[in-house]
Amino acid sequence: MRRSVHTLLLILAALAVPAVMVSAQSKEPVKIGLTAAVSGGSAASGEAIKRGLEIAIEEINAKGGVLSGRPLRLVVRDDEGQPAKGVTIARELVEREKVTAVFGGLHTPVALAQVAVWQELKTPYMGAWAAGTNITRNGQTPNYVFRVSANDDDADKFLTRYATDVLRKGKPGLLLENTSWGQSNEAGLTKWLGAKGIKAVGIEKFNWGDPDMSPQLLRLKGAGADHVVLVANAPEGAQVVKSRAKIGWEIPMVSHWGISGGRFAELTGDLSDGVAFLQTYSFFGKQNERGEYVLKMLKEKYGVKGPEDVIAPVGTANAYDGLHLMAMAIDQAGAAEGAKVRDALENLSTEYKGLIKTYRKPFTTEQHDALNDADYIMVVWKAGKIVPLAAK
Amino acid sequence: MGRIGWALVAAAALALPALTANTYYLYLACSIGLLTIVTAGLNVLAGFTGQISLGHAGFYALGAYAAGLAATRLAAPRWVAAVAAVLLAALVGAAVASAALRVSGPYLAMVTIAFGIIVEHVLVEWVSVTGGPGGIFNIPKLSVVGSYWLIAAVAAVALWLTANLRSSAWGRAMLAVKSSEVAAESLGVSAYVVRITAFTISAALAGLAGALFTFLNGYISPDSFTLQTSIVFLLALLFGGLGSLAGPLAGAAALTVLPELLTGLTDYRLILYGALLLISIYWLPAGVVGAIVGRGRPRAAAAESAAESIAAVEPAAPGPDAPSASEPAALLGVERIGVSFGGVVALNDVTLSVPPRHIVAVIGPNGAGKTTLLNLITGYYRPDSGAVRLGGEAITGLPPYAIARRGVARTFQTAQPFDALTVVENVMVGVAGARLSGLTGALLGLPGTRRRESELRLRAQTWLRMLGLAARAEEPAASLPAGLRRSLEIARALATRPRLLLLDEPAAGLSPTEIETLDRRLTALRQQDGPAIVMVEHHMELVMAISDRISVLDYGRVIATGSPAAVRENPAVIEAYLGVPA
Amino acid sequence: MLVQLLVTGLALGSMYGLVALGYHITWATSRTMNFSQGHAVMVGAVIAWALVVALGWPLSVGVLVTLVALAGFGILVERVAVRPFFRAASPAWLLSTIACGIIAENVAQLLFGKDARAFPSALTQRPILVGGAGFYPQEVLVPVVGLALMALVQVLYHRSPYGRQLKAVAWNAEAAGLMGIHIERAVMAAYALSAVLAGIAGVLLAPLLNVAPTMGTIIGLKAFAVAIIGGLGSAPGIVIAGLGYGVLEAFVAGYVSTGAREIVGFALVIAVLVARPLGLLGEPPARRL
Repeated sequence: MRRSVHTLLLILAALAVPAVMVSAQSKEPVKIGLTAAVSGGSAASGEAIKRGLEIAIEEINAKGGVLSGRPLRLVVRDDEGQPAKGVTIARELVEREKVTAVFGGLHTPVALAQVAVWQELKTPYMGAWAAGTNITRNGQTPNYVFRVSANDDDADKFLTRYATDVLRKGKPGLLLENTSWGQSNEAGLTKWLGAKGIKAVGIEKFNWGDPDMSPQLLRLKGAGADHVVLVANAPEGAQVVKSRAKIGWEIPMVSHWGISGGRFAELTGDLSDGVAFLQTYSFFGKQNERGEYVLKMLKEKYGVKGPEDVIAPVGTANAYDGLHLMAMAIDQAGAAEGAKVRDALENLSTEYKGLIKTYRKPFTTEQHDALNDADYIMVVWKAGKIVPLAAK
Repeated sequence: MGRIGWALVAAAALALPALTANTYYLYLACSIGLLTIVTAGLNVLAGFTGQISLGHAGFYALGAYAAGLAATRLAAPRWVAAVAAVLLAALVGAAVASAALRVSGPYLAMVTIAFGIIVEHVLVEWVSVTGGPGGIFNIPKLSVVGSYWLIAAVAAVALWLTANLRSSAWGRAMLAVKSSEVAAESLGVSAYVVRITAFTISAALAGLAGALFTFLNGYISPDSFTLQTSIVFLLALLFGGLGSLAGPLAGAAALTVLPELLTGLTDYRLILYGALLLISIYWLPAGVVGAIVGRGRPRAAAAESAAESIAAVEPAAPGPDAPSASEPAALLGVERIGVSFGGVVALNDVTLSVPPRHIVAVIGPNGAGKTTLLNLITGYYRPDSGAVRLGGEAITGLPPYAIARRGVARTFQTAQPFDALTVVENVMVGVAGARLSGLTGALLGLPGTRRRESELRLRAQTWLRMLGLAARAEEPAASLPAGLRRSLEIARALATRPRLLLLDEPAAGLSPTEIETLDRRLTALRQQDGPAIVMVEHHMELVMAISDRISVLDYGRVIATGSPAAVRENPAVIEAYLGVPA
Repeated sequence: MLVQLLVTGLALGSMYGLVALGYHITWATSRTMNFSQGHAVMVGAVIAWALVVALGWPLSVGVLVTLVALAGFGILVERVAVRPFFRAASPAWLLSTIACGIIAENVAQLLFGKDARAFPSALTQRPILVGGAGFYPQEVLVPVVGLALMALVQVLYHRSPYGRQLKAVAWNAEAAGLMGIHIERAVMAAYALSAVLAGIAGVLLAPLLNVAPTMGTIIGLKAFAVAIIGGLGSAPGIVIAGLGYGVLEAFVAGYVSTGAREIVGFALVIAVLVARPLGLLGEPPARRL
């Protein structure tokens, strides 16, 4: 046992070494953390966010970094979508890696579990995907949690408006993934449908990796749904579309943004035609200047062939804009200190012409979501491409 | 691991918060502590009784949610929440165990997996109570340092409890059940009860760890309690060393720290993790602790304790309880018993009567049904017809441990000592038999339990001396040569102070000198007012020398019964043995 | 709705049954299993995708090479994760095969990518609609191939002299060794065959499920449940349990709720084992004393 204690001490020493080495450098880089799932079933989401951050960091570093000459450096950690792991990582990033700010991934439970750590260790957090409403609206002041991503509450308002006002349908069947994301949308959709005096005729759920969704669709069909509101990521969304074709049910589908990845078209073939969904940004069609740059970098750095090959565009786009906002906040704060950067984020003085939109004072004391339903667009799959629908 | 090792670990644990204020290291230490508590419990189940569970994340979840709900909905104080967590987990644990432990091996693994998955999905679906997939947040939580002290203290207590348990009658019964369920039951130990107890203890500890997890994080959701989590629990235990007392701590530390060391490697991290697991399973088949401690034994303690046993006060001479006056003439009555397996008749209309203190030999060619007869008497098989009576009471159809508790002990054709125990501990299982005494006392190591321990040990040593094994008392039973394994089994059986002792080929594989010793011992036993003996044996010299009566079996039937001299002359016997009509 | 659910359930069930047979084969020979059998399904689908879709090989050649590769994979798992612990009383093989699964999944993620990819097949382009119920031709192919393979395995293992030898190994390795059966070779063959079956399942499922490094986990788990309910030692039991489990899942999802599906399914697993501790058609081994 004495030897095992020895080993344990050695291991602990090894853990401490990197922290010591970093502080010895001059022109110290400013570290940005990422906690996201980069393995397992939702690894693609983590990969997409990482790409957005890397492209933005490279761009900023090429122009001299932040705080007059300090480069940004990304530290990626795999939280495997597990809250406990996420909390460990949060502490590790701040306490050992000494990161200035942290970006977050797809899983709402992980983001929720980490909120307490950001508050305790005074580290600003920028959500790049997870859309759970109470991640940012968490009741904390001063609130260290920010987000450049959809907020389910806003998204559901937007989807409901589209279905009732544009499609003029009144009998929605909800088909949601059985996760906290699905749960958050069940609440949001029920709320906004209720505001219009509508009740969903059926609420069905599915698990990740479910091979066949026809039982759920049959139940919605049996309940008399005249349109389906879908909350799913690309692989499960594809199974839904395939099962819908199998049971021969021609029905309008309105979807949250999870099916926006280019792979959705590959997985479904022409079955995806006509599926409408919410989007913050699309790499299809005419791009703004930043859009062209990001797409070019995706091709150069990651071998992406075209917009249809961008795996999870929302993650990349959100992370890209989020990082630029964070860099501006660090410069404005004048120091890589969490509390100061947080204050700066709430009072950004410069305008940022971003990928998704032009941000003017995106965050305030009350509003920690940079994007809201005014920034969403409704698009539709057509022959493997995303085509914008007429506004509103 | 020795006292010095434990002291070093304790010192390190006490010093850690003073050495670093870094909450990352403290949080990691908390994670190690939580994993230690769970694996200490799992060690009782898997390490002591040999049952694998892949569903303990379910109990962890029950504890976490019970504590979380008690703290939020009922605003209960923490200790109440923790007690609720332990009770719920233990209760459900006992219920699951009573169903799960009817099966074993991969079937048991499946039942536990199914339990874990059901819990996970109930947490997801029962939104009004559990908060659904989003879980429960804003649970009042402890500071990291506060959690650290609490978790470290509980982990220390958990390890201490399991150490106490290991050195108690309960612990020995568990290891006995793991080594040989059949042999354990022959001593009056109910394997089912022992396993349920172990399962419940492990569930309770997992529930307690779950409650601490809630206090540490202030947030719980179903994602933390998946099959993956259960697998990590089991991996930590096996990594540390199954059954070893320090194993849970070593395994928990390794499985918490290892992924952190790899954390910077992102894409290659899990590949390396898998490879390291694989390599360590190769290199450390007995776990980390086994690899470190497993060398440099056996220790000198054997000689020491032998000396001690000679100096020990002689207890009352062992012997059966005094036969009461009303005891009927026949102690054992096998009445017209019959059994067949898959259409093949193994025993047909067999009748056997054994008076108290007699030695009856059952002989016959191979396949005549001799061992089947012993298995029927001791309850391992159920007869299709007929009855078995012991002292007038019908014992047909009772389970083996119940028959053992009525005063029937046996040995096996292939000796089955408990390899996981030392020689003296083997006999102590026999001395204690069904009387495992209080579980609380065993866990807490209360003075009463300790006193009883030394009493059990003294008695066991008497039996060992009688069977010539005193010098090897502290050796692992697995290290004994074949002849001594048989002696140990007889010592263990006699230690239950039976009314009836069944010996299945006690002379097989023994040298002529050893057979002579056996002859002497059996004769001495009868002169000392010992138990009645039924002996299945091929060694005719021994049979003729010590038997009062002989029954001859052939093709499942009794073809002759009588005194040795009469049987020797019986023409049917001669034909059965020599294949020629006399 | 009833017909549709039945069709869906049978397709699902034959999938489970096919993968579950892989557990049966190695168990019948060696009393060990590749606990990561589901990952072998994934490896089959990923290799086939790489050869047929990415490299554009003809389907027949691609599938053939895939199955040969899978046999190799099975042998590798046996050599690395099972043989060192064969007949060791410890459940080390359980953990070592889990470790193999972790490695396989993450190597696949590194080489193949992290997102799900399509495996186009002529049999999943258009569903066939018959009397209100629809199905993809591939969904019929799965049970047809599945049942044929199950029958083949049954004949191979329980009727042929070689199969009897393999079974003898499981009952008593020592005696089998004395009889001149090469035990290590028999176990290796069982692992190869088991992986090939998983590979076939992978290739058949790829067009229906999409190809992803994580695709095998749930199938592997449910197939394990099916193998246990059916009785690890009984191929017919496993086939019946597989179909039954698939239909049950579809019916619970269709008539009760998706949320109840796993709860009902796994509760049933426990109930079956409490009533029949060795599965539906499992034969108790003679109790050796």
